[in-house]
Amino acid sequence: MSYFDLLRLAWPEASIVLTALVVLAIGLTNRGTRPAITLLAMVGIALAIKNVLRLPHDAILFNGMLVISPLTSLFKIVSLALAFFTVALAQSESSLRHYAEYIAILLLACVGLMLLVGSEELLTIFIGLELLGLSLYVLTAFDKIDIYSAEAGLKYFLFGSTASAFTLFGISLVYGMAGSTSLAVLAQKLSVTNAQPLLAAGIVMTLIGFAFKIAAAPFHLWAPDVYQGAPIPSAAFIASGSKVASFVVLGKILLVGFDSARGSSDWHAMIAGWSPIISLLAAMSILLGNFVALAQTNVRRLLAYSAVAHGGYTLLGLLAGDRDGFSATLFYTTIYALTLLGAFGVIALVRRETGGDDLQNFAGLGQRSPLLAVCMSIFLLSLAGLPPLAGFFGKFYLFSSAFRAGANHGLLWLVALALFGSLISLYYYLIVLKVIFLDERSTTATAPAARPMLVEVATGVLAALVLLFGVDPSGLVARIVAALA
Amino acid sequence: MQLFLFWCAALLMLVFGVAVILNRNPVASALSLVVSFLGLATLFMMLDAYFIGIIQVLVYAGAVMVLFLFIIMLLDLRAENLRKINWPATAGGAVVAFVFLIQVLSVIGRLTDAKKTFPPLARSTIDDVRNVGVTLFTNFNFPFQVIGVLVLVATIGVVVLSKRELANK
Repeated sequence: MSYFDLLRLAWPEASIVLTALVVLAIGLTNRGTRPAITLLAMVGIALAIKNVLRLPHDAILFNGMLVISPLTSLFKIVSLALAFFTVALAQSESSLRHYAEYIAILLLACVGLMLLVGSEELLTIFIGLELLGLSLYVLTAFDKIDIYSAEAGLKYFLFGSTASAFTLFGISLVYGMAGSTSLAVLAQKLSVTNAQPLLAAGIVMTLIGFAFKIAAAPFHLWAPDVYQGAPIPSAAFIASGSKVASFVVLGKILLVGFDSARGSSDWHAMIAGWSPIISLLAAMSILLGNFVALAQTNVRRLLAYSAVAHGGYTLLGLLAGDRDGFSATLFYTTIYALTLLGAFGVIALVRRETGGDDLQNFAGLGQRSPLLAVCMSIFLLSLAGLPPLAGFFGKFYLFSSAFRAGANHGLLWLVALALFGSLISLYYYLIVLKVIFLDERSTTATAPAARPMLVEVATGVLAALVLLFGVDPSGLVARIVAALA
Repeated sequence: MQLFLFWCAALLMLVFGVAVILNRNPVASALSLVVSFLGLATLFMMLDAYFIGIIQVLVYAGAVMVLFLFIIMLLDLRAENLRKINWPATAGGAVVAFVFLIQVLSVIGRLTDAKKTFPPLARSTIDDVRNVGVTLFTNFNFPFQVIGVLVLVATIGVVVLSKRELANK
């Protein structure tokens, strides 16, 4: 093991850091125009994807601090792709004053995602979590002149740092018991210790930070403000990238590290462990997210509450606990991320034309720009889970894997709850669509300025992807299942 | 004797930790933090971690805190006005903290391993500094590098967020 090996295996991450540094440097010169920086960032991300593809098939460094496996490579590519689309959204966002710094921090946040995805060791996972968190706080508060952005940033920062303090405490307890931070060693050690109460305390505290990241109720309080107040690309990245990486790493921690303390959340047969805790989080998120979303009049806030509910659905796959369940979780969260990025793209365009993102700003979108309205309906109906869109297959896969798991369909109660939640969610998604297609334009919207091409193209591509993965999900599913094997 | 010293240092840390929050004058808060760090350094030294204890004093109590004081004085922060205390929230927070404390205490109290006396530390033949350095640049090299990136993010973030914007730009 030499430094050179380390550099070779961590080259995708290192190349993104280099790109960020170059972006920063160019931002200082007068060549740092927006298109130049955007192009540079996109090329950097594309090269990093290429580097991920050239990584060896399997490698483990330092007890799992850096793990190269088909799974980590796949999700590194997903993280990079999400960052790519986010850069496309950021290009025309006029509220971002220091564009080069914005893109640089976005790229460094992407490094955080890749670390989270590519590590099976608690220390590196924690550092990745902090790197991601710190970047996202800055990205949220970036438009500091806007008080909503500043408020969201402060709220996110305060909640986030408290949550990571708990996680660190939990990790330290677990480390104290097992004497190692590597998930594999942890699993081995924990299966033979009998320090039950301490382990339970450690697990609960460790989970808090992740519950915060995936905005599961009752740790969701930051989400509505951040989704609404942050600059749109930041909100889109928080809703997509941060969520995907958190689910990947949460799955690894629960299903690998804490596997021996699973317990059971079956109806009538609860056994202490992480499973009842997660099922409680899931149930609360599904109920609270869906019911509160009904009352929202701001589309970004509505998406935030629906994100809480979707976080709840996604936890079902982890509760199922087998390979099917984990792959369903990964598929669903990937699809969800693509969908939400696209929805934020549409919101960015609408906001640019009408100056806001309340429901009434969407009135008459169907007449104004039919194509955009169709894209938005694809995203929303996919979130609601209607066939033939990707969200339908994702939900089906997720719920059926939870349904099959466990003896005697013990998770049936949660599946029923999730189905009930999806039914409610259909209502508020359809309200948005009703406003888009049926409501008259309330005021004469300002004449649409030239639309930013890049955002339009990105939104179109995302809509096409959502449609494609809905019609033919087998490609992505097969890849995820193969990676988990 | 050692136990007595431990309680002294721990008490010092806690009292001045609370003082950091309660003081309305930022300079007094920063100085309380220095004292709290000194208590922490004592605890490290009692655990035979001399190097970390000294670093705690040199880097945290010395360099970082002086920087804090510089910033406070540069920004010319005055003592905060006493805000109205939100009693329900304060009480709620105190209850949660108390319940949490009870939980951690009971969990650790029930642990049989926690009651064993600590085995004497093996005297390592290499000194602390070397140990830390070797660990940092071999096994923990990767996280060490990543922390560098993390600090970079913090630096950019602070500069961007604290930069004063011109009115028309």
